[in-house]
Amino acid sequence: MDGQALKQAVTPYFAGVLHEGLSRLKAEAYQDMEEIRLRAAQPLLLKIGESEWGLTSRGELTKKLPEAINATREDLYRTIASISDNSLYAFEEEIRRGFITIPGGHRVGLAGQVIVQAAGIKGIKEFSSICFRLAREKKDCARAILPHIMSTGTIVNTLIISPPRCGKTTILRDIARSISTGSPACPPHNIAIIDERSEIAGTHRGLAQLDVGLRSDVLDACPKAWGMMMAIRSLSPQVLIADEIGRKEDVEALRECVNSGVAVICSIHARNSEELSKRPLIKQLLSQGAFRLGVVLSRRNGPGTVEEIIRWD
Amino acid sequence: MLGLKIMGAASIITGFGCWGLNAARRMDRRVEQLQELRLALGFLEKEISCVYSPLSQALAKTADFSRPPVSYLFATSSGLLQEKTGITAAEAWNAGIEGLRLHSDLQEMEMGLMATASLQLGISDASQQKKLLTLLQEELALLEQKAMQQAEGARKMWTYSGFILGAMIVLLLI
Repeated sequence: MDGQALKQAVTPYFAGVLHEGLSRLKAEAYQDMEEIRLRAAQPLLLKIGESEWGLTSRGELTKKLPEAINATREDLYRTIASISDNSLYAFEEEIRRGFITIPGGHRVGLAGQVIVQAAGIKGIKEFSSICFRLAREKKDCARAILPHIMSTGTIVNTLIISPPRCGKTTILRDIARSISTGSPACPPHNIAIIDERSEIAGTHRGLAQLDVGLRSDVLDACPKAWGMMMAIRSLSPQVLIADEIGRKEDVEALRECVNSGVAVICSIHARNSEELSKRPLIKQLLSQGAFRLGVVLSRRNGPGTVEEIIRWD
Repeated sequence: MLGLKIMGAASIITGFGCWGLNAARRMDRRVEQLQELRLALGFLEKEISCVYSPLSQALAKTADFSRPPVSYLFATSSGLLQEKTGITAAEAWNAGIEGLRLHSDLQEMEMGLMATASLQLGISDASQQKKLLTLLQEELALLEQKAMQQAEGARKMWTYSGFILGAMIVLLLI
């Protein structure tokens, strides 16, 4: 998605002076924009690449935050009204999870007063922060990784290892798209994507907003452990893809998947293989041979830099 | 000359009589409009709390369900929200109320009650929306009862008083 398309997708959700500033900002600035953050009575902040900027009402980026546009409670209210089409009741489940996915697959995180009931979180009210995380597709960004995944002629169980913001979800999406659609090097496969946080496919109202391939079934907003079992029972996938595994129940479900002959490709938060081996559940999973391939990512040369390929054969 | 006088007297009595009849009819229309508004809010409540339709769609469907002049409220607010110009539900709802005020026989008290909904419409969970719309319907039902009682008592008075007033003016002129 180019800068102009991102600008057109995102700016209509903002009102008043925020809308003015963001509309006047040059489209090139959106090209590498990762986040737009609104906090009540604080400057609007834009995360562009590795830098954080304020924005003036003339649409200029500034490091001098006192000159930047401040977001008011009214701005937050109008932005949330706009995101939810003035219908917060229609987004109860999303608000309970803490974010709403908007068309284009962009994720809008919400913070405010959390309403807790006996059964858990009921919702959020009195919103005080909004964070737009801009989703972007980088087609073919997994090209360097795919030959390793297909090295034996079949898909190898793979773990994408990376700290946050190093592009593991974008890589996972591209792997899903490539394997699902197929290529001369890789025949097409039926894929089940367990998209607990709606980040891989960016589903909005049941429709994947990002390209995850021709033969991908998406279980959106589904807890990973349940989703994996559901997918195996009902969708007969050849490959199962899930983002950010790590909880005990995820590990148990993964073990079931591996034992049922489904190839799994997952991501996990860790800086490197040493850090990974300090997590007992994952260490146990690796010692049982659940994964044969590890791909360590970093931001050294931009998000998605492949630092290391690990083989656990 | 006598013929002219008779015609003039008849015109005055008929004119005042029609004015009285219209006033009586307005009281009946107010009761009908309150009832229509209550039913429309019931429909909107179901659209929001059971179907989870986005507000602009829920209002548009309610406009189709209800009859003028009550449908003006829902059609105006839905139209404004569907334009997606950054308008909030409260602003759209208040604009709809202004439309209703122009076209209906409802009184300031009823308009004030409807305006209270603007602060909460659309911006809470389904159970809170249901509570809000149920409460509005209950309050409208009370106003409807009161309006019905007022209409019962005043209908005959307005119906006859127009003609009586006309006759009195004719007598004074003679």
